[in-house]
Amino acid sequence: MPTFKLDDREITFNPGETIIAAARTAGQEIPHYCWHPGLSVAANCRMCLVEIEPAPGQRAMMLDVLDWDATLGDYVPRRKPKLQPSCQIVVTEGMVVRSNSSPHVTEARKSVQEFLLLNHPVDCPICDQAGECKLQDYWMEHGQFGKRMHDEPVHKPKAVEFGPTIVYDAERCVMCTRCIRFMDEVAKDPVLEMRERGNLNEIMVAPGRELTGHYTFMVDHVCPVGALTTKDFRFKSRVWFLKTHDSICQGCATGCNTHLDVDPRENSAYRLRPRENMAVNKFWMCDEGMMTYRATSEGRTVDHLVSGQVVTSDTALKEVQARFGGTPPNEIGILLSSQASLEDNWALLELARTHIGTKHVFFTGAANGYADDILIHADKNSNRNGVKLLAPHAKDLHELIQSVAGGVVTRLIVLANDADDAAVAAKLAGRLDTTIYLSSASNPFVSEGRGIVFPICGWAEASGTYINQHGTAQVAKKALEPRGSARPGWEVISKIAAALGFTTGWTKLKEVRGKLPVTMSTTVAE
Amino acid sequence: MLQRTSYLTTNYDKPECWALSLYESTGGYTQAKRVLTSMTKEQVIDEAKKANVRGRGGAGFPMGLKWSFMRPHATKPSYLVLNADEGEPGTHKDRTIMELNPHSVVEGCIIACFAIGAHVAYIYVRDELHLSKARLWGAIEEAKKKGYIGLAPFGVDYEVQVHVHTGAGAYICGEETALLNSLEGKRGEPRLKPPFPAQVGAFGCPTTVNNLETIAIVPTVMALGGEAFSKLSGLHAFNDGGVRLYGVNGHVKTPGVIELACGPTLNELIFDVGGGVLGDRKILCAIPGGSSTPILLPSETINAPDPAHPMHAFHGKSVFDVPLGVDTARHMGTMLGTCCVTVLAEGTCPVLAMHNLMQFYRHESCGQCTPCREGGSWLLRTVDRILDGHGTMEDVNNLSDIASNMMGNTICAFGEGTAMPALGFIGKFREHFEAYVRGERRRADARLTVA
Repeated sequence: MPTFKLDDREITFNPGETIIAAARTAGQEIPHYCWHPGLSVAANCRMCLVEIEPAPGQRAMMLDVLDWDATLGDYVPRRKPKLQPSCQIVVTEGMVVRSNSSPHVTEARKSVQEFLLLNHPVDCPICDQAGECKLQDYWMEHGQFGKRMHDEPVHKPKAVEFGPTIVYDAERCVMCTRCIRFMDEVAKDPVLEMRERGNLNEIMVAPGRELTGHYTFMVDHVCPVGALTTKDFRFKSRVWFLKTHDSICQGCATGCNTHLDVDPRENSAYRLRPRENMAVNKFWMCDEGMMTYRATSEGRTVDHLVSGQVVTSDTALKEVQARFGGTPPNEIGILLSSQASLEDNWALLELARTHIGTKHVFFTGAANGYADDILIHADKNSNRNGVKLLAPHAKDLHELIQSVAGGVVTRLIVLANDADDAAVAAKLAGRLDTTIYLSSASNPFVSEGRGIVFPICGWAEASGTYINQHGTAQVAKKALEPRGSARPGWEVISKIAAALGFTTGWTKLKEVRGKLPVTMSTTVAE
Repeated sequence: MLQRTSYLTTNYDKPECWALSLYESTGGYTQAKRVLTSMTKEQVIDEAKKANVRGRGGAGFPMGLKWSFMRPHATKPSYLVLNADEGEPGTHKDRTIMELNPHSVVEGCIIACFAIGAHVAYIYVRDELHLSKARLWGAIEEAKKKGYIGLAPFGVDYEVQVHVHTGAGAYICGEETALLNSLEGKRGEPRLKPPFPAQVGAFGCPTTVNNLETIAIVPTVMALGGEAFSKLSGLHAFNDGGVRLYGVNGHVKTPGVIELACGPTLNELIFDVGGGVLGDRKILCAIPGGSSTPILLPSETINAPDPAHPMHAFHGKSVFDVPLGVDTARHMGTMLGTCCVTVLAEGTCPVLAMHNLMQFYRHESCGQCTPCREGGSWLLRTVDRILDGHGTMEDVNNLSDIASNMMGNTICAFGEGTAMPALGFIGKFREHFEAYVRGERRRADARLTVA
């Protein structure tokens, strides 16, 4: 591979790559505001300026500037090389680039930082971006100066509602145009633009429009400063109280990689953000997906229920014995969930096949919904491919209802997390003598109060594997402690098995995961 | 010695000089016809190169060379775009051509289109120049009727269409790529380069952007022949050929625009053309070619003791006595720009002059990139404070720092266009700034006019 030199490092690059991109791949960040690896190049912040040594035989372009020499009492002319934006310049073989090692670059970065803060309100104490703000980070790295401009800063509109989800503060804005470019290039809805000129510039929504659609939250996440904030997260928490965990979005079959930000002090989630994965979601996520963090606390099932009464775990398990004991194995059916993790589904399937010895395996999931050609998949299940992989011949809901109606299946163990699953199960509930229901979410079945309910961990409370639309197995890590009496599904299934007189042999996640028919590098054909 | 010429300006003082009949009576459209009927585009570009026409818009890029960058695209058309967004303070030459000799522009368009392989020329005219637009529209209409432009100019199967496009009054749209954005109906912001307009220009097609005067002189170039045209210039040896319009304004007795062979000195322009300084005062300084060019003081001299130095012939001379050309101006530490000289008389205030310019640049910055957006405004506010008597020595020191940090760090040349005059004023007139800080002068007494 061809190489170029960045400061004292020899760095390989792919032909056609820009300096900043090649440096990023090599793990060296060149400071920047406007550049984003997933957006077009704007080169307007001028923070990423670097010094490029002229090619052999060529002279550097020099610029004449003046320095005031107080001891001489006169100006001293100085020549400085013309710096180049590293986000715009394409690397060539043998190029010599000075970033941190050039005094001219250091000077330029400091001055850009000073220019950007000139009219900035510096309202960090009340700004949601504080703690993850590029202006703060770079000021620590390249600034640490006092303010030289003593005039009143320019005042611009604040708390402008761009739409139902986003609020804009023009005074904090550094005019990097990332939000404009995101809406134009990724969301394919060029609804944002810039108005006015000079330092009166501000971002605006197209007249007659609001910032709406399925990708509005992203403008907050591409914003390097606190100019764009989501109404959802605004004033809710300081980011330094939050702990970030890697997770997988449960909104649809795309399986966007996410960061789940939780406050460990109160064991609750505050925000779901996209995590870079070029093979799945690149840098992006949809609004609906980002809002799924709420399901970690809202509408949960956290108690064991028997016939609608809250009971202890032991009571519930005794009830399992009482209601299931002596049932011919072939009358017991299981319902797998396209929304539950591979671990939970595997455990239930293992119980049915190896221990109980029934062949009545059914599966269900949420109905199809809105789709686009950006990220959102019509299949609203995070793990349909996982269920397909485990039980390719599992029968669908229609056959389950027939089996129940025909009296073939009299007992059912249901794994479900979603309200759609629950609605189905609710239909069945009236017809079944006995159902064991494992769920993290509250739903009509639970409120119907006919079966035995075991609360299990949602996707944020237990590490789980999910196989997305392209057959990629991905892990959502544990981010929160289980709520109420909830335990991981596979653990609960092991206890139910014990209540039915079987020994499953798994007590730890590692043991379950070791038996899964996939590894994290596995890609399963659809 | 001033060498007056009258190629572009020959009809300037005649009644209805913009009419086609008058233009044709002095040989108008014969060159376009000759080029289209008897020459190849290579021959035209060759003549243009020999003519050493340096771009008249301010940067002084050789016109013939620029034309030669144009390569036909497999699927896309090529365009010629004329920059007539003349809006720089102190510049007022293109306007006279549009108003008084619009047919030279149209004829130039025909020849240039042919040379670069374009069939459409857009003339981007500054919004405020209403008479200019009316005269151009009139000229295009007349030329169309005669069949000089259209599907087959002069019966030759080479379509040429000329359109006038009205700007919206933004100085930044004089920057060629901002102009192209504006032409396309987009926000007038400079584009990143490369790609240059010759590869990706108007509507994504290969485009040549020339200043209006550059194109207007083309018929003269073809009439005289490239080499003969170049030799009219006193700076032929500097590859700065032919004749061009010079302007004089500011504190002179007879401001105006005049056509001269390239290479008059500042003193000649100020005294022979401008009739001397108002009130017969001394010269404080001169801005050689539009507000973006650094100021020159009469006390400045050329320092080129090395006989091999191109400026050695002028060693020791005042910069006001050196022929003014693209390259000679560069050696004086300034730029020729549009060679419309603005003169400031002694007794007027350079701090107020800088304040005036900074107001302009702050107002006109598009705000796309950080140093220009924030720096221009900071410069203005600092000078404003100094003028108001609230400034400190730190403020004075900041001025050169701010301007130095804008220099070269911006997307387009607007940043330098702001920083260079700022550095010029603060570097050459620091004691005036300090006088305000020390309270020796007051804003109320500052003057930019000669009573």
